[in-house]
Amino acid sequence: MFRISNSVPTSVRILFVFLLAPLFLFTDSSADTSFDLQDYRGKVVVLDFWASWCVPCRRSFPWMNEMHEKYGDDGLVIVGVNMDAEPQEAQAFLDEFPAKFRIIEDANGELAKEFDVIAMPSSYVIDRNGDVVQRHLGFKVKRQEEYESLIQSVLARNQKEF
Amino acid sequence: MRGLAKTLFLSQLLIFALAGCNSMGVEPWERDVLAKEEMQLTVDPVEAGLDDHIYFSKEASSGGRGFGGGGCGCN
Amino acid sequence: MATKKRKSVAASLATATCSLLGNAATEPVQAQEEPGWDFNTALLYYDEGDGRVQDISFNVLANRTFVDDRSLSLTFVFDSLTGATPVGAVPFSGPQTLTRASGGSTYNVPANEIPLDDTFLDTRYALAVNWQQPLGRLYSLNAGLSSSFEYDYTHIGANVELSRDFNQRNTTVSLGLAIANDDMDPEGGAPIPFAPMLDVGDLSNKAGDESKDVVDVKIGVTQVINRNFLVQLNYSFSDSSGYLNDPYKILSLVDAVTGDPIPRTPAPGAEGPLHEYAFEHRPDSRTKHSLYGQGKYYMSGKVLDLSYRFMTDDWGIDSHTLDLHFRWPVGESSYFEPHLRFYTQSHADFYRVSLVDGVPLPTYASADYRLGEFDALTVGLKYGWKLASGNEMSARIEFYNQEGDAPRNQLIGNQLTREMYPDMDAIIAQFSYRFGK
Repeated sequence: MFRISNSVPTSVRILFVFLLAPLFLFTDSSADTSFDLQDYRGKVVVLDFWASWCVPCRRSFPWMNEMHEKYGDDGLVIVGVNMDAEPQEAQAFLDEFPAKFRIIEDANGELAKEFDVIAMPSSYVIDRNGDVVQRHLGFKVKRQEEYESLIQSVLARNQKEF
Repeated sequence: MRGLAKTLFLSQLLIFALAGCNSMGVEPWERDVLAKEEMQLTVDPVEAGLDDHIYFSKEASSGGRGFGGGGCGCN
Repeated sequence: MATKKRKSVAASLATATCSLLGNAATEPVQAQEEPGWDFNTALLYYDEGDGRVQDISFNVLANRTFVDDRSLSLTFVFDSLTGATPVGAVPFSGPQTLTRASGGSTYNVPANEIPLDDTFLDTRYALAVNWQQPLGRLYSLNAGLSSSFEYDYTHIGANVELSRDFNQRNTTVSLGLAIANDDMDPEGGAPIPFAPMLDVGDLSNKAGDESKDVVDVKIGVTQVINRNFLVQLNYSFSDSSGYLNDPYKILSLVDAVTGDPIPRTPAPGAEGPLHEYAFEHRPDSRTKHSLYGQGKYYMSGKVLDLSYRFMTDDWGIDSHTLDLHFRWPVGESSYFEPHLRFYTQSHADFYRVSLVDGVPLPTYASADYRLGEFDALTVGLKYGWKLASGNEMSARIEFYNQEGDAPRNQLIGNQLTREMYPDMDAIIAQFSYRFGK
């Protein structure tokens, strides 16, 4: 089930008290929309909600690719959740900014609602136990190092258990 | 003065009505249309500036518009 | 030999203090553009025909975006103006001779024509700079400086705007403030209000340079209604004080029965006006209130943009403006955009067709047609297209018509049979090129 770890700020705790379990599965016959946090136990997950019309995503993608290359072997998994209503627009974005990480679709917004997405883009850092450690609203180039340090610290945690 | 009083009353009413409408709007991921250039309140600021200049010079009124909001709402 | 009268662009186009707030110098804050430069350039041609005002304007808006949604924009405008504008004197069945504002020479007006103050070439340069950045996650700040220069008119101003998002950015509340100081130094000096027009070389009706101060405050709300519909509502307040007269506008002194101008004889050996005229006199303050509403509605690729503005001021002027743009895409990379604008205004309380001989002088009076009662209609069409490089071009042509009436209860004698109000038909043509990122 879903536990909130001690380091999470109060505001985020309150947020997730009422959060429904993100541990559900949706499948779609045509697109890759399946997402089950159970599949990623033992891995650190960065769940990033993006869209083709979101300009900061043009900067977050190269950075996420870099994180994927750097920390993939250490157990980092990045999942980009695409919110586009038109799949061809998402494809056009990916043609210009290819992703080395997994992309899933959430056109009807169900996963976004489950994670209580309040801004675009949003990224959730989830530790190896499946707990959300932190949420980032927007993507700021100036905070890249801060984002990276957080990933490093979460990767270092609980490592012995897995 | 009647015109002024009417303006002020109407504007107060509408501004408060709109500001209080927190049930209206879209989810943050539903802003694809609002993000389009042609859906911005001022699409071409140079053209808007030229028009404002012409009409300010030839009429007794000026300005009124110009402020942000809408758009993709990112970051 | 006639001295060339250098007529300020300001007098013909009342420039410089327009759009203190708003869209003057920033690209729309389209969330977080890629860092880099982009340029928005435009060439405009404006022509009223019939020897009246012609203007060629060249504009550049250079925008530099920095990382994390900060940007700097620089706006440069160059205007070159020629042509004549109605000076405020009444037409009548005989010719008229008037002294130029500079006091240097006279000019003639044919019979049965509305007197036009003929203007020589003049140029204006304007420069503005704006900085925009977020403050925290939900606030945005925009601050800027504006300026414009002509040989006899200088404007400087500062503006600041603060916005805050609510309701997951569905609602934005904004507050803006702008201040300006304009300095006028017309050739010959600014006229003393109601002073008579004098012979060539006599500048006793002129004072030195003058100035005015303007303060604008604006509050607005932008609301996302649904995925395809956005509205904005703004309330603006504007206060001007100082020398608000147009230094080149006059009124005729007319006979109380015929309504014809009173003849005048210049001093022996001097050139001067052959009828009596007085310089206008406006109040030294003006307070305006405006309410502006705009909606943008998306319908499968087409965009309807409709706005309405109501303005009322303490000069007695009320105006209504209804503006409609409809963008119609053609294929993937071009569009048509028809444009329709309706405008109507009432006349200022102190608007006078002429001053009447024998009647006590009113406190204030102006015959400036821009303070009169008129309706205006603009009809235009724009065509825009994207180049292979991603850069954009557009061209538009518009027709602007103004038709007004002098208040019937002010017309006397022969004035009732004449066309007293200078209607106007202008062509506006513009070509734009946007390039950069």
